[in-house]
Amino acid sequence: MTDAALLQLNAVSKRFGQVVVADGLSFSVDAGATLGIVGPNGAGKTSLFGMISGDLPVDSGDIEFDGRSVVGIGTAERCRLGITRTFQVPRPFDGLTVFENVLVAAQQGGGLRRAAAVDAALAALAETGLADRANMMAGQLGLLARKRLEVARGLSTQPRLLLLDEVAGGLTDPEVAELVAIVRRINGAGIAVVWIEHVVRALLSTVDRLICLALGKLIADGNPREVLGRPEVKELFLGTESAIAGDRPERVSEPVSEPAIDPAGGNP
Amino acid sequence: MVWVNAIVQGLMLGGLFALFACGLSLLFGVVGVINLAHGDFAVLGAYVAVALLPSVHTNALWALLFVPPIFAVFGYGAQRTVLQRSLDTGPLTTLLVTFGLSVVIQNALLEGFSADSHSLSVGALATSAFHPAHGVVVPYLRLAILLTAVAVLGSVQLLLARTSVGRQIRAVADDPEAASVSGVSTRHITGIAAGIAFATVAVAGLAFGMYAQFAPTTGSTWLLYAFEAVIVGGLGSLWGTLAGGCVLGLAQTIGEQIAPTAGTLAVQLVFLAMLAVRPTGLFPARVAV
Repeated sequence: MTDAALLQLNAVSKRFGQVVVADGLSFSVDAGATLGIVGPNGAGKTSLFGMISGDLPVDSGDIEFDGRSVVGIGTAERCRLGITRTFQVPRPFDGLTVFENVLVAAQQGGGLRRAAAVDAALAALAETGLADRANMMAGQLGLLARKRLEVARGLSTQPRLLLLDEVAGGLTDPEVAELVAIVRRINGAGIAVVWIEHVVRALLSTVDRLICLALGKLIADGNPREVLGRPEVKELFLGTESAIAGDRPERVSEPVSEPAIDPAGGNP
Repeated sequence: MVWVNAIVQGLMLGGLFALFACGLSLLFGVVGVINLAHGDFAVLGAYVAVALLPSVHTNALWALLFVPPIFAVFGYGAQRTVLQRSLDTGPLTTLLVTFGLSVVIQNALLEGFSADSHSLSVGALATSAFHPAHGVVVPYLRLAILLTAVAVLGSVQLLLARTSVGRQIRAVADDPEAASVSGVSTRHITGIAAGIAFATVAVAGLAFGMYAQFAPTTGSTWLLYAFEAVIVGGLGSLWGTLAGGCVLGLAQTIGEQIAPTAGTLAVQLVFLAMLAVRPTGLFPARVAV
C-alpha cells in the first residue's frame, strides 16, 4: 500500500503438495499498528507467520520489512531486524530458567549486551508478570505462564513487529483479559502487533484492523466489526459458530470447501 | 591394601573413560549426532600428533597445544558441512554417515601409518609414580589424566551453564526453531558446540595415546567404553559422564583384582546391571545439556 508500511506482502504464494497455504497474498502492516487475523483451521494463518518470520520459505512473491525484501534472509537475521513470532503451542527452552529464556532473546535477537540485556530481559518478565518466576526452569511452568513466556521472549528481542499465534487459546476469561492488557501495553510502546486468534473477543478489544483468511486467500480486510459482519466471513467463521448453536445444523460437520470461501463467488 | 589400590587405579582409569566419553556425550546431547566415528576421531587426534611432532622423542604434551585447536576448527567445519546435512536428512542418516567416516578414517590411517601400533612419548612422566601408602601406586600420568578429565568436563559444564554461548547452545539443543526466532544463529552455534566436542575428543585421543599403544583400528574398541560411560552416567549430563566413567573404571580394576582376566567382563556386567536396574543412568539430566 504505502511506502511507509512496516511489513508489506506482495503476491506471496506457498503450497505443500496439493494444500495451498498462501495464494497470492498481499497486504501490509504499518509501523505501530495492530492487525488481527482470523480464519478457519487450515486457512494458512500459522504458515503465514512462518513465512514472515523466515521459518518457511515462500514459493513465490515478496515480503518486505521496513522497505527491504527479507525473502532469502534467515530467521535469526530477520529477528535481529525486528521481526519475531510466538508459537501457538508454547515452545520455551524447557532446560533453561525463565530468565535465561528471555536473556537469550535479548542478547541475540535484541543485540543487547551485558547490563542492557539483563535490564531488557527483566523488563519483559515484569511486563508479562513473570518476574517472580524468573529462576524457575521454564519446563515447570503452567500453560498460562508458558504463553506469557512466549510473549516475554518475543518482547525481549526488541521487535518492531510481533507476531502472536493464538496466545489466548486455551485460557480462561480472566487470563485472556490479562493477556489482552499485556498486548495492548506492548502495542502502546510502539510495537506493531499481528495477532492470529480464535478468541474473537480478545481480538476485538485489541486490534484496529482485521483480516480473514481462508485456504490461503485474503477474503476480507478492514475494520474488525465490519469484517466480522460481512456475509462471506460469517459464512466461514461465525456461520460454523451459529451452526454449533443449532442454527444451521447441516454445516456442523461439513468441511470448508473451495466454493464456500471463494471471495468472488457466492454460496454453492 | 590391594583393594584400596584397585579402587585408586579404577578411579584414575575412570578419568580416562570419562575424558574420552565427554565428546560423545556433548555431540549427542547438544548436536543430536550419535557419532559412531568417535573412537576413530580420537585415534586420528593421536596420529595427528605423531605426524606433526618433529620426532618420536619429542614430548607429546606439546601436542596438547595444537591438536585440540585443529580439531575444534575441524569439528566446526564438519558440523557445518557433513553432519548438519545428514541431520537435515534424518536421525538415522547421521549413524550411516559417521559409520562411513569411521571406515574412511581407519583405512586412511592404515594407508598413511600402516597397521603398526604407535605411542606418544611423554618422557619420564610415563614411568614415574608416587606411593601415598604402602601397596598403593599412583602413576603421575594417570593422575594427570584424571585431573584433566575433571578439568575438561568441569569447564565444558561451566561454559554451558554460565556463558552466553553456553545458553545459546542449550537453547538450540532444546528447540532450534524457537531459538532462531529469538535471534540465535542456530547453525553457527551448533557448529561451535561440535567444535568444543571435537576439541575434547582430541584431548582424549592424546591422553589415550600417552597411556597406551594405538593402531588405526583401536578406536572402535574405545567407542564401546565411551557409550557405556555416557549411558551409565545418564544421557545429557556431563558430571554424570564423569561418574559413569569412574564406575566403569572401578569395575575394570576391581574385576581384575578378583581374576586377572575378569576386568572387561566386570565392566560389561556392571553395564548390563545398570541397564536393568536404572536405565536412565546415575544422573539423568533434568535439563538437556
